[in-house]
Amino acid sequence: MTDLGNRVADRAAARPRHFWTIPRRDALVGYLLISPQLAGSALFVLLPLGLVVYFSLQEWNVLAGTFEFVGGENYAKLLADPNMGQVLTSTALFSVGLVVLNLALALILAILLDQRLRGTTFFRTLFFSPVLVSLVAWTIVWQFLLQQDGGINGLLGAAGVDGPNWLRGETTALLSVVVVQVVKNVGLNMVLFLAALQGVPRQLYEAAQLDGAGAWTRFLRITVPLISPTILLTSIITVVGSLQVFAQIAVLTQGGPGMSTTVLVYYLYQQAFQFRHLGYGATLSVLLFLIVAALTLLQWRLRRRWVFHES
Amino acid sequence: MKAPLAALALAALLTVTACGGGEAPAAQGPQPLRMSIWTSNEAHLKLFKEIAAEYRKSHPQVGEITFDPIPFENYTTTLTTQIAGGNAPDLAWILENSAPDFVGSGALVPLKSKVENAAELVPAATRLWERDGELYAYPFSTSPFGVFVNTDLVKAAGQKAPRELIKAGQWDWEHANEINKAVAAKGKNGLTILNFDYKAWDNLATVWQGWGAKAWSDDGGTCQFNAPEMVEAMTFMHKAIFTDKSMPGPGTAVDFFSGDTAMAVAQISRAAMLKDATFKWDLVPLPAGPKGEYAVIGQAGIGVLKKSPRAAQAADFLAYFTNSANSAKLAAYFPPARTSLLTADTMAKTSPLLNGDQLQKVVIDGIEKGVVKPSHKGQAELAQTARAALDPLWKPDADVKAVLDGVCAKIQPLLGG
Amino acid sequence: MSRRVKLALYALLCVLCVPFVFPTWWMVTSSVKPISDIFAFPPALVPSRFDFSTYSRVFELQPFGQQYLNSLYIAAVVTVGTMAVAAMAGYAFARIRFPGQNVLFLVVLVGLLIPSEVTIVPLFQMFHAAGMTDTHWPLILVPILGAPSVLATFIMRQFFITLPDELEEAARVDGLGRFGTFCRVVLPLARPALGAVAIFTFLHSWNLYLEPIVFLSTPSKFTLPQALTQFVDAYGSPLWNVQLSAATMTALPILVVFVLAQRQFIEGLAHTGLKG
Repeated sequence: MTDLGNRVADRAAARPRHFWTIPRRDALVGYLLISPQLAGSALFVLLPLGLVVYFSLQEWNVLAGTFEFVGGENYAKLLADPNMGQVLTSTALFSVGLVVLNLALALILAILLDQRLRGTTFFRTLFFSPVLVSLVAWTIVWQFLLQQDGGINGLLGAAGVDGPNWLRGETTALLSVVVVQVVKNVGLNMVLFLAALQGVPRQLYEAAQLDGAGAWTRFLRITVPLISPTILLTSIITVVGSLQVFAQIAVLTQGGPGMSTTVLVYYLYQQAFQFRHLGYGATLSVLLFLIVAALTLLQWRLRRRWVFHES
Repeated sequence: MKAPLAALALAALLTVTACGGGEAPAAQGPQPLRMSIWTSNEAHLKLFKEIAAEYRKSHPQVGEITFDPIPFENYTTTLTTQIAGGNAPDLAWILENSAPDFVGSGALVPLKSKVENAAELVPAATRLWERDGELYAYPFSTSPFGVFVNTDLVKAAGQKAPRELIKAGQWDWEHANEINKAVAAKGKNGLTILNFDYKAWDNLATVWQGWGAKAWSDDGGTCQFNAPEMVEAMTFMHKAIFTDKSMPGPGTAVDFFSGDTAMAVAQISRAAMLKDATFKWDLVPLPAGPKGEYAVIGQAGIGVLKKSPRAAQAADFLAYFTNSANSAKLAAYFPPARTSLLTADTMAKTSPLLNGDQLQKVVIDGIEKGVVKPSHKGQAELAQTARAALDPLWKPDADVKAVLDGVCAKIQPLLGG
Repeated sequence: MSRRVKLALYALLCVLCVPFVFPTWWMVTSSVKPISDIFAFPPALVPSRFDFSTYSRVFELQPFGQQYLNSLYIAAVVTVGTMAVAAMAGYAFARIRFPGQNVLFLVVLVGLLIPSEVTIVPLFQMFHAAGMTDTHWPLILVPILGAPSVLATFIMRQFFITLPDELEEAARVDGLGRFGTFCRVVLPLARPALGAVAIFTFLHSWNLYLEPIVFLSTPSKFTLPQALTQFVDAYGSPLWNVQLSAATMTALPILVVFVLAQRQFIEGLAHTGLKG
């Protein structure tokens, strides 16, 4: 910019003709546009969250109608809770299993469907269809299929395999809940990956092929970096989602056998609603919130390390 | 959308300032009443509404009376959430497993002086709902457990019908097990305990009671899962499940009413499900155990919540809802606890599917000498904890005594507290 | 691609799609099976005889038609509302500079991190104090304005960020103000992102389970997932075939609509240009 230009600009800024300059008008429009979301966040997110923190400092007996301040007692209980180790282990296993399986399967399906094949639309529809089935209906059906004498073992039997009693073994129960959830929702991530894959310019692959790069190298050096923003988005959504899985566990295992599928959100539900320890439930809510927030923040921080052309 | 938003903002302020939910101000005009229930059966609802309409004719100060069905599976949970949110119903059905919590916490209004002719209620049926000599809920459904038998399947397996065994004085768990073993050997299911599903272990009381076993001591303070009687009873069940295969194993859905199962331990109200049964069936008392004959009952009560601003009116309606005349009507679906109704003749009118002998032996005797399924203060947490600790038992190579010791180790802290 | 590779790919796809298709197939066929068939082992792939009476039972046991309408209209209102709220907020956060922008965005993002179990009790208290329990308001207002809409706002923001600056400059030259630019230039371009938001939101509302159970108590106000759990006998035992019929009716129409409109659906979702 020239000196003259600077001076003109200075003068314009020095004597605003009226209060509503363009930046100010812009800001007003900005505030107006975000106001519904902001008001909603304040009313339906922040305020209830504040109330939950407040409840976590109380001993609240719903039936007797007593509500008394106990300070950090619920937090002390949390630290001393003998179930906490098992619950956190189940939660970690469940979330890691779910996220890894979901993202890997979504990517594999997307790559398969990205091939120049006839009928990919048909398969895409099939893989996506569970997304549309009501979650409760989906879980009820799987409850049948996963029985000792259910459909899954029927299919396995036809293939000559003697299937386990899925929902009664500690490992298989956890695995079952993960798989039921992945099959239900992997279609969404698959479609997002598919879109990202289709956005990768074909010339890049051709050039790399000329340079003698194999399929695996091309995948690692071209595909992954170029679709990394999508990987980031899907992994954030999937991680957060994996910590909120509830209805499936309620219907399929009720946290069992043992406590193998009692993940944090289900334990929270049990404590607060079934056992009526609302104060302690609120404390677990605070813990859950902190874990989700920390994980999301971590992913966001780490994105610069591996996400390509992050602006 | 603006009006509700403003109202909500106001409500939010209210919530913050007066936590726990405000009481509704005393309003003028006819006052509505609301009863939380877990059935959404049309016939049940129709009967309740008829009784309510009749009541309102003589009580113009009462507004509409609504019956709120909450899904059975989440009943107590949803009810307490509503109470926590400040939306307690005026009256609520209460399951036997949460009775000690509701009765013990002081959440309910005392009813003894309100209930018509409370003296004729069977003591076995009211014990659960009493504290310090006062009655806190009316036991409107007292449903004994019996054994439904698919006599076609038993015959096909070449076995004697349970009724014949009863005549011969041989109707005990050993003999029952032999029948079921034979049926299972033919590829059908032997005996199932309805609703147990290897989770709701309190239903196993229908078996272990025959061994004289108990989940905990009568004062509720000591775990008895590892007492010798319980170990024996559980060993019997474990052998039945995994060695004899006479009880379908864990992870198998069984439906007695579709006809593939020889016997089902269930509450007698399930007879209604057999209206269109395509097989011959019978209802017999629970088999005798090593400690002789016994009976077990499941219960449901109706209580009036103290939190209700119309508690007095609600108690008055409850008295009307459960008076002798209406109890007789309710008896069509819910076995009554009033001695005047507990005769084979009166019962026969309301339970057309059962014959006189079945009614006398299973229903009437059952209600009079029955033991209620185990329940304790903090039952939900106890139930979950014991369920998790019992899970290792449902494996072929389980060490019964060790697992039951483990159950006691887990639940004793909850009992002692 | 050689023939053999193609065949292998097809075989792989066919095997992979079994767990995706089989449950739905089983649900639909079992809903017309006689109850003994449902428990048969090995499970029958085709019903031994067809029994459609369970479908009329669904309507006898519950005001199912009304419940269907409830779910549909709630999901529709929530979808449209969320699209509006999220498009506005997403645009402002992506394209307009105003003081406090980043802080406010973080504040809004908190909603992304909260499972509904966490805040259900305080929300219930608020709505009860406002006299809105046993109405559909909580199921409409909270998703549109509260935590569930934050994901939508996030998606919209990520989309708007990718638009070139020249777009707005051109609009300004044409004499359009901010609102004009937003409504006439930006929104039409955002159709794919809006499509994605619509699908996410519709499915979220359609599947809502905990909230209806907590907030609603009158059967004629119930939504479908809640209604599905009501097909039990008087003692809490599920009426399996009736439940499966109801489940089929909640799933099939949506599946049919999807198959017919799937190109727009998926491509809309795919072309959001979602760049983290």
